[in-house]
Amino acid sequence: MAENPDNPIDEEIERSTGMTRDEAILAQQDRIQKEVEDTNPLVSERLPLVVLKEEYQADPVYSKKIEDMYASFPYIRKTRGDGNCFFRAFGFAYMEKLLTDKAELHRFKETIEKSKDTLIALGFPSFTLMDFYDTFMEVVNQIEEKPSLSELLATFCDQGMSDYLVVYLRLLTSAELQKEADFYQNFFEGNRTVKEFCSQEVEPMYKESDHIHIIALTSSLGVGVRVVYLDRGENQRANHHDFPEGMPPQIVLLYRPGHYDILYGE
Amino acid sequence: MAGSALRRLMAEYKQLTVNPPEGIVAGPVNEENFFEWEALIVGPEGTCFEGGVFPAEIIFPTDYPLTPPKMKFKCEMFHPNIYSDGRVCISILHAPGDDPMGYESSAERWSPVQSVEKILLSVVSMLAEPNAESGANVDASKMWRDERELFYKRAKEIVKKSLGYGS
Repeated sequence: MAENPDNPIDEEIERSTGMTRDEAILAQQDRIQKEVEDTNPLVSERLPLVVLKEEYQADPVYSKKIEDMYASFPYIRKTRGDGNCFFRAFGFAYMEKLLTDKAELHRFKETIEKSKDTLIALGFPSFTLMDFYDTFMEVVNQIEEKPSLSELLATFCDQGMSDYLVVYLRLLTSAELQKEADFYQNFFEGNRTVKEFCSQEVEPMYKESDHIHIIALTSSLGVGVRVVYLDRGENQRANHHDFPEGMPPQIVLLYRPGHYDILYGE
Repeated sequence: MAGSALRRLMAEYKQLTVNPPEGIVAGPVNEENFFEWEALIVGPEGTCFEGGVFPAEIIFPTDYPLTPPKMKFKCEMFHPNIYSDGRVCISILHAPGDDPMGYESSAERWSPVQSVEKILLSVVSMLAEPNAESGANVDASKMWRDERELFYKRAKEIVKKSLGYGS
């Protein structure tokens, strides 16, 4: 039945789709989501940066800025835009680096081993926490035993594994924010507490990341990240910023409003 | 995707069997399908639901625990936070942003580190302390707020019915 029989649009929707307006909207959202999933892998192969320019054919501002980036960043690896893209981009880019950096891998493994106790001390339930920790360590061990790029990519494109890695990175971010709550509290407007922010914007899946997430995660792991900003700003070239401030970057991410991908210098 | 959900649900089932919280029994309806559970919840002592035994179903999504399950009582209930068809409406069953009742910002939300046990414990405290502010059942919310004695009487009837004594 049409929700409002007097509304000609509702009637038209029902006649052509056999669904009420709300049902039709939900069905359309599902179709769009499905299309995003079908056309975009969670993490793509490394692609020449020109693929990015192709997305902005009719856009002189973006086209110019992307052309200027060719020399410094000839390659890009795209991530799916599902609200987890910062964590997935960071996770992949950094672990890809660990494939060829044994000393850094060793340091990272120790950091992760210690993080479990920090999380439990902060009150995270160890029973469910260990589910994510074990999966995360499994991937770290896989890198150590068999440093294969194609296997790492397969892991990150497997929805179940990939999402578990994202969850653990979200938990590490939350832990850092709560541990250093006195500092991070200054970032919030209004009277939202750090704990509330973590349970609303950090721990749940699909919640997009802001600067504060990036500062917390990179500080917690001691991994410097350069973020290159591609936006409609007046500056001729894309700006960049390093997180945490002053730490030499190990990986480079590209930010376009609402989305993070990975950039490569060579 | 369903692989990690299945592994997690099996682990949670085991945990609930080995170490069951007081007044709660829960597990898959049959072990062929770990995504549909039934639960029995005993009305908490010292409350108007004391002595009742309330059956409920819990349905898990294939991407559990990334998104929360849905829970529905299978017996007659009369409670501010339970819809008249039995669906349970508490904050822990919702991710932030998915907010039908406008929960307080401090209310506990779903995240992947929550668990079936946490949900069931929240349901027990919901039975003990209804929240009339986010009412799923408007009549029950009003009665809880304005005519507490009448609500207690109604709850007693619900308890009797849950034990198989009709009224």
